[in-house]
Amino acid sequence: MKFAIQFPNLKLFLTYLFSSVLFIYSKGQLKEDSLFSQSLDNVVVTATRTPRLMGNVAIPVSVINTKTLYQAGSLRLNDILAEQTGINIVDNFGKGVQVQGLSSEYTLILVDGEPLIGRTGGVLDLSRISVRNIRKIEIVKGPSSSLYGSEAMGGVINIITDGSGVNKSDFGLRYGSFNTIDGSFNFSRRVKKTDVTASVNYNRSAGYSLKPNQQQKTVEPFWKTVQQLSLNHQLSENWKLGSGFRRNVTYIDNTIEVSNQGIAVLSKGFERNDEYNITPYLQYKGNKVRTTLRGYITGFESEQLLSVKGSSNTYNDRFDQLFSRVENQTDWQIREQSAFTFGAGHIEESVASNRYDSLATKRKNSISYFFAQHEERLTRKLTAIGGFRFDANEAYASVWSPKMALQFKPDEKISINISYGRGFKAPDFRQLYLNFTNLAAGAYSVFGSEVAAAELQRLSALQQIDQVTGVMGGLTALRPEISGGLNLGARLKLKDGMQIGANLFRNDITNMIVTDIVAFKKNGGQIYSYFNLKSALTQGVELDLDKRISKTFTLKAGYQYLYTADKDVLAQIRKGEIFQRELTSGSSVRMKASDYAGLPLRSKHSANLKLSYETAKGFFATTRLFYRGRWGTFDQDGNGIINRSDEFAKGFLHVNASAGLSFRKHWKLMAGLDNLLNYKDILNLPGTPGRVGYIDIQFNF
Amino acid sequence: MKTRSIIGSVLAAVVIFQSCTKEETAVPQVTLIQSIVKDIPADTIVGLSPIGQPVGVGKFTFYSLETNAVIPNTDSNSTKWDIGLRGSTIITNGGTSGPGKGAAFIYVGTFDELTKVPADSTFRVDAAPNYAITAGSNKGWYLYTPQTNLVTPLPGRVLVFKTASGKYAKVEILNYYKGGVTPAATAPDNVKIFSQRYFTFKFAYQADGTTNFK
Repeated sequence: MKFAIQFPNLKLFLTYLFSSVLFIYSKGQLKEDSLFSQSLDNVVVTATRTPRLMGNVAIPVSVINTKTLYQAGSLRLNDILAEQTGINIVDNFGKGVQVQGLSSEYTLILVDGEPLIGRTGGVLDLSRISVRNIRKIEIVKGPSSSLYGSEAMGGVINIITDGSGVNKSDFGLRYGSFNTIDGSFNFSRRVKKTDVTASVNYNRSAGYSLKPNQQQKTVEPFWKTVQQLSLNHQLSENWKLGSGFRRNVTYIDNTIEVSNQGIAVLSKGFERNDEYNITPYLQYKGNKVRTTLRGYITGFESEQLLSVKGSSNTYNDRFDQLFSRVENQTDWQIREQSAFTFGAGHIEESVASNRYDSLATKRKNSISYFFAQHEERLTRKLTAIGGFRFDANEAYASVWSPKMALQFKPDEKISINISYGRGFKAPDFRQLYLNFTNLAAGAYSVFGSEVAAAELQRLSALQQIDQVTGVMGGLTALRPEISGGLNLGARLKLKDGMQIGANLFRNDITNMIVTDIVAFKKNGGQIYSYFNLKSALTQGVELDLDKRISKTFTLKAGYQYLYTADKDVLAQIRKGEIFQRELTSGSSVRMKASDYAGLPLRSKHSANLKLSYETAKGFFATTRLFYRGRWGTFDQDGNGIINRSDEFAKGFLHVNASAGLSFRKHWKLMAGLDNLLNYKDILNLPGTPGRVGYIDIQFNF
Repeated sequence: MKTRSIIGSVLAAVVIFQSCTKEETAVPQVTLIQSIVKDIPADTIVGLSPIGQPVGVGKFTFYSLETNAVIPNTDSNSTKWDIGLRGSTIITNGGTSGPGKGAAFIYVGTFDELTKVPADSTFRVDAAPNYAITAGSNKGWYLYTPQTNLVTPLPGRVLVFKTASGKYAKVEILNYYKGGVTPAATAPDNVKIFSQRYFTFKFAYQADGTTNFK
């Protein structure tokens, strides 16, 4: 059943906008407040959508700054995130991120506060994003849908590129293994009242093979470019106008060896992803009030073309997604100890793909939303934040996302945070409209929930349906997936520049969308569709330590313990209804809850350690270790869950090292080796090519 | 095509000699036969069809639980065999499949837990294409996973048979691949295709006609 609220219209939104502008004018000029004029480096914006000092945020947030990025020699977003505590990179449809045990589809990736689109199988490939031109990355863990809407369940990763107001430019060039070349140019100038920031990045690689004697490479040759321009103009003391433009192209030279029922077929072609976005805004900034009207238009066009060798057959896959949004956000400093933020917006989204119907059919969705947040310093030691967001959707049920957080700081050395929030993920276009039949493997079909009934009728009329399963009756409109996340954290500043932190988390996810069989075809193939069936939990603890050993040495360490489970599976195991097969004898036995290893692709243990050395004269060296414990891959004993020792990929340790120096004022030179231990796992880590090296030179002016 | 012979006939019934009393010493009657049978080919893949579908010759492999042996295909119309295997299809010697008294049902539980055929059990008789052992993934004895293209016997399923002569037997299918080892999920498709349709199973046959498996 669809539940549509009549808020989704532009008229109401415009009325809202108009009234908020009136509101601002009525406030007039007030005296300068420190809230809006924080210096940038220790300020975070993602956690509350307002600039806040890092230590004053009641929500788990961490920041990766330019220096860390540079010293780690990171090129793409996945490189640096892999080294962060509590974050795993999963190699499946590209490099996806896993935060607090929630997979990539439940993590929102923002660039300068605007969401990136273009996911494959729910995964947003982080290797699309260059980190050569960015100022910092903010990572917020736990649900933040109260501010950001869909996808902000496990967390929000915000890539901040803006370098406004800094007169600084650089050229960078890098050469590395597999003929990897990365060139970048970043330019930032203030011309009168206009800030201009421009950057260009070009990245290419010849790819590599992990499996010998195969025509298809593990990673095919590719090139990627990013072009970005941002203009910010100060119209008057209070008004600012600007826009960002960004384009990101990825081209992969594809040679694909497909084994079709045992016959290897070689196809050649390419894959091209073209993403662009435009972000115009108008901002008013008074002493107590700031309001911003933002527009956001982004498109993602993906094309894959393959022609089979020795035949005229071609395979063409196209996926065009368009996302546009208009939004207003107003921050109002009511009193010194209370701040109020509210906003509303409207989103129009569309997808055309031959994976669904045809390119001619555009699937659309529109969302209207509003949000509000109040922050109150109750006493000198206690701050509270409460907020919510309401998303009214055209294509599926509407959602409320509340959030509450408390911060208690008894003194300068201790802070204790507790927060609870709800997150959601809207059913995506794939889950609604996919129309896919795999002729190679078992002739199974997958139909999106909105098209399944019609497709079944069509196949039934063709007498291709053998039997319809019981879940057919449940073939209803999909609802958003919902999570509730609780975070309890403490941070302690000790003597000698040592800091320790701990964060306990628990996420309960309901309405999870999974595929289930709706019917069997006469040829034996199954027909799948999507249902809100599963509920899961992820919980664990994250620990981190920061220590300055001497003037030149610093140490950082982190650890995450993670427990995940499908709640229904867990309940069945407790009732003794799930069996497993012993590895050696092959006999079935009833499973114990302790045999259950939770959701696939999750590691119970993961850890990292970073040692850096840095002199005042600009020499640095770093050694970074990260460990990921074993994780479940595929069921092998027929119970559909991860439990047996042969159902895991082995854990691994990566050691990365880099060193560099500054010379002649303008120059920086660095070199690094990643994966020093040369760890490879062809099957489970295709994105890890073994030991790689690089050398990098930068000219700053 | 290599077919390994039947391995390991094990007498499970423990012979208990009664202590010497004045009564006559009972001759222990060993009526329960337990065995693990490996690598029984069941219409293994001989090639690919013009459209690339893996195909066998389409014949059943017949097995006698009573004699613990493969029965030649030429005896298909006899009561010499108890179960027939062809790909993932399992038939009993009864109903539309054979002249015997064969029937079957699937018991959910472990092999060892099933010490006696429950009194309220309903044996089903083959009525092609609806067999006593339901065909199809996750409906009968196996799970087919399209993502990995693998067939795995569902754990916790015991196939309870009435043999051609109306005796009782229980069978747990342990594996569907050659050598009794399921290929890794990441193994190439042609490995998975050509090593499938080899049954490894464990069974217990009660010769005394009772429903006891102790």
